[in-house]
Amino acid sequence: MKNIFLRTTGLIMTGLIIANLFVVISGIVISDEINNFEKKTNSLHRINLTLEKEVAKLSSLKFAQEQAKEFNFINSTAPQYIDQLKYAQR
Amino acid sequence: MKIKFIFLLFIAFYLAIIVRLFFLQVIYSPLNKSEYLKTNKLYPVRGRIYDLKNQSLVLNQNSYQLYIEPKKIADKDKLLQLLSKSLEVEEASISAKLNMSKNWVAIFAGITQEQKDKIDKLNLKGIGFDYQTKRFYPEASLSAHLLGFLGKDNQGEDVGYLGLEGFYNRDLRGLPGFLETERDILGRPILIGVQQRVEAENGRDLVLTIDKNVQEISKKRLLEGLDKYKAKKGCVITADPKTMAILSLVCLPDYDLEKYYLFNENFYKNLAISDLYEPGSVFKPLIVAAALEEKKIKPNDIYNETGQVAVGEYNIKTWNDKYEGRISMTRILEKSSNVGMVYIGEKLGNKKIYSYLEKFGFGQNTDIDLEGEASGYLKPANNWYPIDYATVTFGQGIAITPIQLIRAFASIINGGYLMKPYVVQKIVSENKVTEIKPKIEKRVISQMTSNIIKKMLVSTVENAEAKWDRPKGFSIGGKTGTAQVPIKGIYDTSKTIASFIGFAPAENPKFLTFVVLYEPKTSQWGSETAAPLFFEIVKDLIVYYNISPTQ
Repeated sequence: MKNIFLRTTGLIMTGLIIANLFVVISGIVISDEINNFEKKTNSLHRINLTLEKEVAKLSSLKFAQEQAKEFNFINSTAPQYIDQLKYAQR
Repeated sequence: MKIKFIFLLFIAFYLAIIVRLFFLQVIYSPLNKSEYLKTNKLYPVRGRIYDLKNQSLVLNQNSYQLYIEPKKIADKDKLLQLLSKSLEVEEASISAKLNMSKNWVAIFAGITQEQKDKIDKLNLKGIGFDYQTKRFYPEASLSAHLLGFLGKDNQGEDVGYLGLEGFYNRDLRGLPGFLETERDILGRPILIGVQQRVEAENGRDLVLTIDKNVQEISKKRLLEGLDKYKAKKGCVITADPKTMAILSLVCLPDYDLEKYYLFNENFYKNLAISDLYEPGSVFKPLIVAAALEEKKIKPNDIYNETGQVAVGEYNIKTWNDKYEGRISMTRILEKSSNVGMVYIGEKLGNKKIYSYLEKFGFGQNTDIDLEGEASGYLKPANNWYPIDYATVTFGQGIAITPIQLIRAFASIINGGYLMKPYVVQKIVSENKVTEIKPKIEKRVISQMTSNIIKKMLVSTVENAEAKWDRPKGFSIGGKTGTAQVPIKGIYDTSKTIASFIGFAPAENPKFLTFVVLYEPKTSQWGSETAAPLFFEIVKDLIVYYNISPTQ
């Protein structure tokens, strides 16, 4: 009877220790994951801002002007507007 | 025996843990709470600003604050040298901030991602970065006065100053949240501990009525105009006359939004809304419209312009002191006759003149949604002398802002409605879009009077004394103005404020543009400076808006 009690207690204790270890390790793993997600979210947020900045730069008039200059689209090559529309409509 | 020994060992071990926990949680608890309970402020992202077509004007970008922990530095001289090289600043300016007796010293804010990456590669000991955001302007200083800038208040918090950043600071800044979390020694959250997170509410985005292409056209032409006419400063405002939605607002000289702190405060002043000046002849159509509305004159009524007119001890003359004899009311506007305007003023009467000045909104704020507006000053009616009533008919002796003038002018060409000028058409938050509709303040004149004055203004452009290079086939209405500048109560004849206000196409105006040049040197007249500049802008806008010729 005493043996059974001791074994049962031993088993329960072992079970509890394993469960405890599992909970602690799981907690650490989940905490690590939370930490990683926090870092990833921050990183994504920063990448997002960088991309937004790049898109805005590429669609800016400032960039268009730089490109126009680079491709020599300057005043001397400006398009001529037609004063008398009747010629354009023929 | 063995079991008892192990049992006692466990008891001792647990007792040790309990005693340690008692010390940590009860005895040292209040002092050490911050070691595991972290409370962080969650900063909201400041709202962005877009133009009419959702093209970005102001965004946020990653930025860092560089700090140094002096006690961890291995070689101070080498550190200063490398940082100075990477940041392109003098060693002395870093050295001046570096207090070796402190544990932590902030060195520079506003470090870009590229600069940070460069410094990271140096692998320096004792330096670190705190994450921040700062404003990014894709179009650089295209709209400096309009946008305003983001600075700091006396507690080091971000705060918008002037323009939209100032006016809409509460919408743009959002609400901060906080994160309270228990962390272990490695900074990982303790799941069974306190975990409380209140999310920050990001700032609201603004969608403007400003069209960045119109803004670019205005700025480019104004820059050319200032250079060509050697003017000290100037402004161009373009608005939709039906709604008073501002399409562009540019004043020069302006300042660099990224480096606003390098500029003198005078550069921050938005002349369009905060500079008081005497408008001169661009004011005449308002008085003519009032006289038409009161049925005191008709466009074809005749006035006999014979010479100077005496008002009390003062003599009023035309700009060139030439007189044409019998002229119509329309001709008074065409040749910008001051004596003719005095006649119209007399027909209208002093009381009506004053009441129309109030109706047109002079002496009151327009309530435009930009920070820094001046209201102008309309002195009480009992302080007006006969000469004041005479000179105000041609725009002298009254101090107004350019935005007040364009608003009043819009009312005479849009059917008589005095509208509230506005720059923001939508405020966008995470789950709501608030649209801002045009607002009618009051009706000043009737549709019929508005139609008549529009025709008179078209005739004014077509038959003006000066001949301009106008876009062919388009009907354009407008009026020149040349105002003398009062200095210590005396008009300085060498200094003028030249202006032109006009609209196109006259039948159904798509835009109303006001050009003002301060102290042009090549000519003092609005007809020879501001007017040609106006027509250059109109040519660009006609192409941009794809407006077909009607004549």
